[in-house]
Amino acid sequence: MKTKKGFRLRNICGENVIVAEGVENIDFSRIISMNETSAFLWNGIQGKDFTEDDLVTLLLSEYEVDEATAKADVAGLVAKWKEAGIVES
Amino acid sequence: MITKQLPNEIFIPIVIEELESVEGKTVTLPLRGFSMRPFLEDQRDKALLIAAREIAVGDVVLAEISKGHFVLHRIIALKGNRVTLRGDGNLNNEYCLTEHVKAKALGFYRKGRETLDSTDGLKWRVYSWFWLRLYPIRRYLLFALHPHIPQRFKRAKRP
Repeated sequence: MKTKKGFRLRNICGENVIVAEGVENIDFSRIISMNETSAFLWNGIQGKDFTEDDLVTLLLSEYEVDEATAKADVAGLVAKWKEAGIVES
Repeated sequence: MITKQLPNEIFIPIVIEELESVEGKTVTLPLRGFSMRPFLEDQRDKALLIAAREIAVGDVVLAEISKGHFVLHRIIALKGNRVTLRGDGNLNNEYCLTEHVKAKALGFYRKGRETLDSTDGLKWRVYSWFWLRLYPIRRYLLFALHPHIPQRFKRAKRP
């Protein structure tokens, strides 16, 4: 899968939020926010074709977490990204 | 979903920066405050904004009326680069220069609806026509619509 084009992660007062690029409207009443870990993963796979396993590898390289937990967390995160419509297969 | 509120003096400059990043960019901004009553309600409605290029009397604009103090109010007079603003729900004026006018409202999303009440639309124009002409009795209309009795006039509660 890939991250959808036209989104940019920016920091607003310590919050990592996704904003639309270009002339697309930014709706500040419903904005997607990421915690530090998901922002790290998001930045790590920008512009790449990635799999859940790639995210798990990234996660394990940066955080002290066992593989089973990492896999479960990544699955949950990817589901949320899909639901939010910011990644596509 | 979690709702976060940021201080205006930090958040609004970011909104303006985004609006000015690309020509034609728009931003939907949740509204706070009561100064654009009766049309717009605190924490209920949203404004669709675009960077201000040309402004005119009657426009609702986002302006920095003093350092870090932003308002979304209606332009009631324009003379050269001097702008007079007044919130629909206010009785007082504010003054700034055209350079302090950062964005203009294209319309409003009200009462949780997905459809925009455009500032070019009939509803907004009819509302504006009446509301501005009713200014002499605005004080009473606002009180009739949103009655409140200042604390100092209320009878003290006995324990």
